[in-house]
Amino acid sequence: MGDDENRRRFVQLALPHAGAAYNLARWLTQNEQDAQDVVQEAMMRALRYMGKFHGDNARPWLLQIVRHACFSWLKENRPADRAFLDDDDDSLQEIAAPASDEPPSIALRNAERVEINQAIAALPVAYREVLVLRELEDLSYTDIARIAEIPVGTVMSRLSRARSLMRTALMPGARPVLRTVPRAVNGGNAP
Amino acid sequence: MKQTLDTRQINAFVDGELGLESQLEIERHMRLDADLRERVEGARQLRSAVREHAEYHEMPSALRERLELLAEPKAQKPAASPRAAALVERWWGWRPAAASLALVAIGALAMNLATLQASRNDRLLDEVVSSHVRSTLGQHLVDVASSDHHTVKPWLSSKLDFSPPVNELHLPDCEFLGGRVDYLDGRPVAALVYRKGRHIVNAFVWPGTARDSKADFSTERGFQTARWSQGAMTHWVVSDVNREEFDAIVRAIQSAESAK
Repeated sequence: MGDDENRRRFVQLALPHAGAAYNLARWLTQNEQDAQDVVQEAMMRALRYMGKFHGDNARPWLLQIVRHACFSWLKENRPADRAFLDDDDDSLQEIAAPASDEPPSIALRNAERVEINQAIAALPVAYREVLVLRELEDLSYTDIARIAEIPVGTVMSRLSRARSLMRTALMPGARPVLRTVPRAVNGGNAP
Repeated sequence: MKQTLDTRQINAFVDGELGLESQLEIERHMRLDADLRERVEGARQLRSAVREHAEYHEMPSALRERLELLAEPKAQKPAASPRAAALVERWWGWRPAAASLALVAIGALAMNLATLQASRNDRLLDEVVSSHVRSTLGQHLVDVASSDHHTVKPWLSSKLDFSPPVNELHLPDCEFLGGRVDYLDGRPVAALVYRKGRHIVNAFVWPGTARDSKADFSTERGFQTARWSQGAMTHWVVSDVNREEFDAIVRAIQSAESAK
């Protein structure tokens, strides 16, 4: 009886978000086969813990499970990628600020599809996940904070940094050397 | 205003994530501040470019089917796909013959069955060896024949209520033949089948205690067996290879597992 109820709720609440689960896993593992394995495992876990979910929007809940499974997978298979998470978010905010002062480039509008996808794929995973959750899943900062298990302020920092990195990657001629110039100027004027 | 507005706020503004008051305040400042307008415009361009072009990866239909299968009660599983139904039918149809065949084998091999102990491990040891013998005598060695763990693992996961660790072993003259669903200790378990030289190795896995334990080796009716707990799974390995080769296989399975 309990099992049947679990399955019914799983079909009704969790299964509709399997596509989002796969998209997230695919962006985090960067590999189709591994994403499938991770999603399958996460969905089995979701089915098992369905009884613990209370509410009507299971998407953030499910994505949190998937995200967790992805990071376990990364920990085992891509330990170098994941190490970045230990970074201090305050320092990210500082680095992020100057890049925004670069003038927006017309070139950005012309950035090719391929380049954009490559730029997202090249982001450190902590930034990639917030960007994917925001731009592809259109989730609120609050939901992203819950899924990634970080404070909303950290979501803001990481998203901001992710976009700065994207802009740098997409703007032709943007090199780290160029970025240090506005940074120095800005640093002098900042209160 | 410009200097107090950091990139994070501009991003949050573009995302509509600032409180109403702050949103309106930034809009007011934008009317006066060309530089701020430019920064906001830049953030909006990036946002729409990413939303337009970033790939939304569609779930492969094979995965979707497997997930839908997950939601079905176990008893109705065979009805889910003709192939699964055929497999199950074959399995059940073949079982009585196999069971009697195994009984004959057991009877011939072990005269001291009468001393069979009641303890769980001894009973399991017997089940494991019988299952191994059955698999090598009958036609039913593997349900899914593939040397690729990426093929075998999802298949097994879709048939079981857990996802077994599936590893290819990097040992000389050792081949991964595939996997099948077996029945041990009163539950469906995963059986991974390897061939070492001319010998078949069955590695059974099912969820067990969280505490890891060292391998416990024993010999039963001439078969080498080992059991241990690792990664919250109970592992039983059985084969008729010699003891040295068997040790190497067990070590390879354990290290493939712990390397994950």
